[in-house]
Amino acid sequence: MKEERQPTRREDQREFSEEKASLFRITLAPLIWAAHFVACYGLVAVTCAKGWDIEAVRVGLLVFSLAALGGILWIGRAAWRRWNVSETGDFVNRGGRAEDRHHFLGHAAFLLSIISGIGVVFVSLPLVLIGGCQ
Amino acid sequence: MTHPSGLPQPEGPYPPTEEMLAEQVPDDLRHAQADRLRAAWATPKGIRYMTAVNNSEVGKWYCLTALVFMLLAGVMALIIRLQLATPENDLVSADRFNQLFTMHGSAMMFLFAVPLFEAISILLLPGMLGARDMPFPRLSAFGYWCFLIGGVFVIGSIFFDAAPRAGWFMYPPLATQDEGPGSDIWLLGLSFIEVASIAAAVELIVGTLKCRPPGMRVNLMPLYAWYVLVVGGMILFAFPPLIAGDFLFELERSFDWPFFDPTRGGDPMLWQHLFWIFGHPEVYIIFLPSIAIAAMVIPTVARRPIFGYSWIVLSAVGTGFLSFGLWVHHMFTTGLPSISLGFFSAASEAVVIPTGIQIFAFLATLMAGRVKMTLPMLWISGALAIFTMGGLTGVMLALAPFDFQAHDTYFIVAHLHYTLFGGMVFPVIAGVYYFFPFIQKKVLSVRLGKWAFWLTFTGFNLCFLPMHLTGLWGMPRRVYTYPTGLGWDWLNLISTLGAFVIAAGFAVFVWDLIRPKHRQPQIPRNPWGGGTLEWTHDVPEEAWGVRSIPHISTRYPLWDQPDMVERMDAGRYYLPDAEEGLRETLVTSVIDAEPVQVQRVTGPTWITLWAAAFTGGAFIFPTFSWYLPAIISGALAILCIIGWLWTATARPPEADAKDVGLGLRLPTYAAGPSSVGWWAMWITMLGDATAYASLVFGFFFYWTASPNFPPEGAAHPDAALVALAAVAFAVNWILTVGARRLNRQGSVTAARLCLILAPLVAAGGATALVTSVLDTDPTSHVYPAILWALAIWTAVHSGAGVIMQLYCLAGSLFGKMTPRYDADIWNVSLFWHFVTISALVSCAVLGLAPGAL
Repeated sequence: MKEERQPTRREDQREFSEEKASLFRITLAPLIWAAHFVACYGLVAVTCAKGWDIEAVRVGLLVFSLAALGGILWIGRAAWRRWNVSETGDFVNRGGRAEDRHHFLGHAAFLLSIISGIGVVFVSLPLVLIGGCQ
Repeated sequence: MTHPSGLPQPEGPYPPTEEMLAEQVPDDLRHAQADRLRAAWATPKGIRYMTAVNNSEVGKWYCLTALVFMLLAGVMALIIRLQLATPENDLVSADRFNQLFTMHGSAMMFLFAVPLFEAISILLLPGMLGARDMPFPRLSAFGYWCFLIGGVFVIGSIFFDAAPRAGWFMYPPLATQDEGPGSDIWLLGLSFIEVASIAAAVELIVGTLKCRPPGMRVNLMPLYAWYVLVVGGMILFAFPPLIAGDFLFELERSFDWPFFDPTRGGDPMLWQHLFWIFGHPEVYIIFLPSIAIAAMVIPTVARRPIFGYSWIVLSAVGTGFLSFGLWVHHMFTTGLPSISLGFFSAASEAVVIPTGIQIFAFLATLMAGRVKMTLPMLWISGALAIFTMGGLTGVMLALAPFDFQAHDTYFIVAHLHYTLFGGMVFPVIAGVYYFFPFIQKKVLSVRLGKWAFWLTFTGFNLCFLPMHLTGLWGMPRRVYTYPTGLGWDWLNLISTLGAFVIAAGFAVFVWDLIRPKHRQPQIPRNPWGGGTLEWTHDVPEEAWGVRSIPHISTRYPLWDQPDMVERMDAGRYYLPDAEEGLRETLVTSVIDAEPVQVQRVTGPTWITLWAAAFTGGAFIFPTFSWYLPAIISGALAILCIIGWLWTATARPPEADAKDVGLGLRLPTYAAGPSSVGWWAMWITMLGDATAYASLVFGFFFYWTASPNFPPEGAAHPDAALVALAAVAFAVNWILTVGARRLNRQGSVTAARLCLILAPLVAAGGATALVTSVLDTDPTSHVYPAILWALAIWTAVHSGAGVIMQLYCLAGSLFGKMTPRYDADIWNVSLFWHFVTISALVSCAVLGLAPGAL
C-alpha cells in the first residue's frame, strides 16, 4: 500500500456526502440493465402482437442499447474513480474508516457496471441475430 | 442541537476512544445492570411461553415448523416415487397422485424453502448484527402464527382428499375450472402465507439497514446481511405479482370474472406471466440465503477472511437483478415470438456470470486458507458439487431449442432438484450443523452427521442422476404411471431406491437434531472459532441478545478486536442497562452505522396470536364460500392490529433522550425518515405498488393480446364520476399532508379538522370510483372485469387509508400523537402518497383508456 495523502476537510465533505444515506447508487448500473431489458421485451412484444414495423423498432432499440451501454460506461467510470485503487492499492477495503467504505462502494458499483454491461450486450444480441417476429 | 420538531439530536463523543473503553464498571453496578436486563428480556414461562416475541424463540418455532412441513412434503415424494417404481402400478389413483405432486411442490416451495429463509434470518441476523432483537418483534411473531395457521390449513387438505391438484403452478384453465375447494385452498392459504413473507421481508430489511452495531459500515457487514438485503428486496418485487395474480384468480373462481377465460376475452397466459415473474426470482430467493450461509461457514473453516468480499456483494446484487429477466424461460414452449425468447435466453445465460463468481470466490477462499474438514464443510462441499451439476443443465435449458426438446420431461425434474438440493437443502443443513451451538448451546454428533451426509449425498445422486436419462428418453413429468417396454422401468426403479436412501439420510439427521442432549457437557462459547458477532453469544443462554452492543471497526471483530468480547460482557459498550425495565435496541444510520436513536422494542403479548387467528379466518372461510364469517374475522383482525399498534408503538416516551453509555445521549423517539416505522412503511409500499403495477400490466396485456379489447359496443366507466374520484383523491392527499404539517407547526385544531375532512373525501372518492363501473357487467368480458378489479383494489386501499387517518385523529384527541411526537401521521401520509398515485393511475386507466385504445 502506498503512503496515504490526508484529504482536506472540504475534499472529505465533497467525496462522502454523495452516499450519505443511500445504498441506491450502487444499483444504478443494474437498473439501466433492467430498464433496457423491459424496454426491449415490452416494445418487441407489442410490436409483434399489433403488427407494427419490427425493423424500425429493432433499429431504435439497438440505438437505445448503445445509449444504455454509454450510461453504464459513465457510471462505471465514476465508480472507478471513487474506488481509486490505483492510488491506494487497496483491493479489499476491509478497514473501518469512512474512506474504506467510500472505496468499497465505488468498487462494488464498478463491478456491477461490468456485469450490467455484459447483460445489456447479451440482451441486445437477439435484436441483431433474429430478424422478425417468427 | 435540536431537530425541527424540538426532539433532541445525538449528543456526546462518538466513536468511543480506547481510554473510554478501558474504564472499568464497578462490580455491584455491573450485576445490577445485568439483573435489570435479564428481567426486561425474560422469556415467558408455562403457557405464556406462546406469547414470546423474541427473535430467538420465534426463529426456533419458525425453523421447526418449516422442518415438519418439509418432512411431510418428503413423505409425499416417497409415495410418488413408490407409485412410479414399476410400470402400470396402481398404488395410488391418478387423482390422488395429482394431489400428491401438487402438494409436494407447493409445500416444498411455500411452506419450506421461502419461510425457512425468514426463519433462519430472524433467528441469526440479530446475533450477527449484535442487535438485541429485530426492530418489530411482534411483526415476526404475527408472521410466524400466520405461517403456522396457513400451512396447517394447506397441508392438512391432503388428509381430507381435498388438496389442490392442478400442479404447484396452478395453470388455468385446469386450475380455475377444477371442481372442489382444492384450488381455493392453494390460492387463499398461500396468499395468506405470502403476506406473512412480505411482513418478514420488511422486518429483515429494516433490521439490516437500521439495527447494525455502531461502526459496522456497509463495507464491514457480514455477507449474510448483504444477502438478506438483496433477498428482502427481491421478495418485495417478486411476491406481489403473484398476489395480484391470486387476486384475479380468486375473483374468477368465486365470482366468474373471466380473467383467464379466452371465450370472454381473458387469457391464461397472463397467469403464466404473473406466476413466473414471481416463480423464477423465487428460485434465487431460495438459493441466495443458503449460499449466504456458505459465505459464513467458509471463512471460519478456512480460517481466513473471505476472498473477494466486493465480488460476492456484486454477485448477490447482480443475481438479484438478472434473475428478474428469466421468467419466460419457463414459457419457452408457449408460442411467443422467437425474438422475445431470445431476450430471456440471453438473460438466463447472463445470470450464470454472477452465480459463477460466488462459487469461485468460495473456492478461492478455501484454497488460500488452511481448511479443516468439519461437518458443516462436508455438507458445503456436497452442495458445491451438486449445485454445479444443476447449473450445467441450467445452461443447457436456457437455450430455447434444447428446452423445446426437454420441456416437461423428467430432465427438468432432475435439473430443478439438482439446483434446489445443491443450492438450498445442502447449504441449509450445513448451516444447521454450524449454527446449532449458537441456537441450542449444544453440538450435533459428528458420527451421525457423516452418516446423514453420505446417505443423503449418494441417495440424491442415485435418485436424480438417472432422471436426466429418463427425461431424455421421453418420460413426461406428472404422469401417474407409464407402460412397460419404453426403457424407463429400471431407471425409475433406481430413482425410487435412491429416494429411500435420501429419506434414510434425513431420518439420521432429524434424529440427531431431536435426540435428548441433557448429558452433553456445556460447549465452549465459540466452538468453530468464527470471527463474526453471533459467536459472542452467552453460554449458558441469556435472552438479551448481547450484554452490551459493541463498537465495530473490522469485518471479523472476534479475530481482529481482541478485547471486544470481554468488554461486551463487562457492559462497557452501549446500552448495558435497562433502567426503565423496557426492551431496547440501538438504531444506527444506514451507511456508516452511527448511533442515532434508542428504539423501544415490544415484548410478549397474546395480541399477535389473536390477530393471526382472525387474519387466518379472513383468508380461510372464503375457501368454503362462508363470506359473512370471513368479513367478521377480518374486522376482528383489524381491531386486534389497531389495538396492538395503539398500545405498543410510537408512544410518547417518558424522557426525550437517554444516556446509552460511553457518554453518548440518544433520542428515544423518532418520526419520519429517521424512524424505523417510516422505513417499514416505505418498503411495504414498494411491494404494494408492485402488486398494483401488475394489475395495470394485466390491463395492457389484454390490450396487446386480444384484438377484441375493449369489445365492440362495450359499456365504459362513467367519465364524470371517474373525474370526481380523481379530484377527491387529490384533495384528500392535500388534506392528509396538510394535517401533518399543521400538526407539526402546533396548529392542532386545524390538523384535526383536516383529519376529519380527509377520510370523508377519501371515502367519497372511493365510492365514486366504484360507482363509475357499476353499469358494466364484470362477468360478461374481461374488459369490465379488469376495470372492476382496479376500482376494487383502489377502494380497499382507500379503506385502509381511512382507518389510518381516523387512527391519527384518535391519537391526536387522546394525546398519543402530539406536535412533538408525530410518527403516526408521518407514516400515514407516506401511505397516502402511494395510494394517491395508484388511485390517480386507476382514474387515468378507467377514464382515459376507453378513448385512447
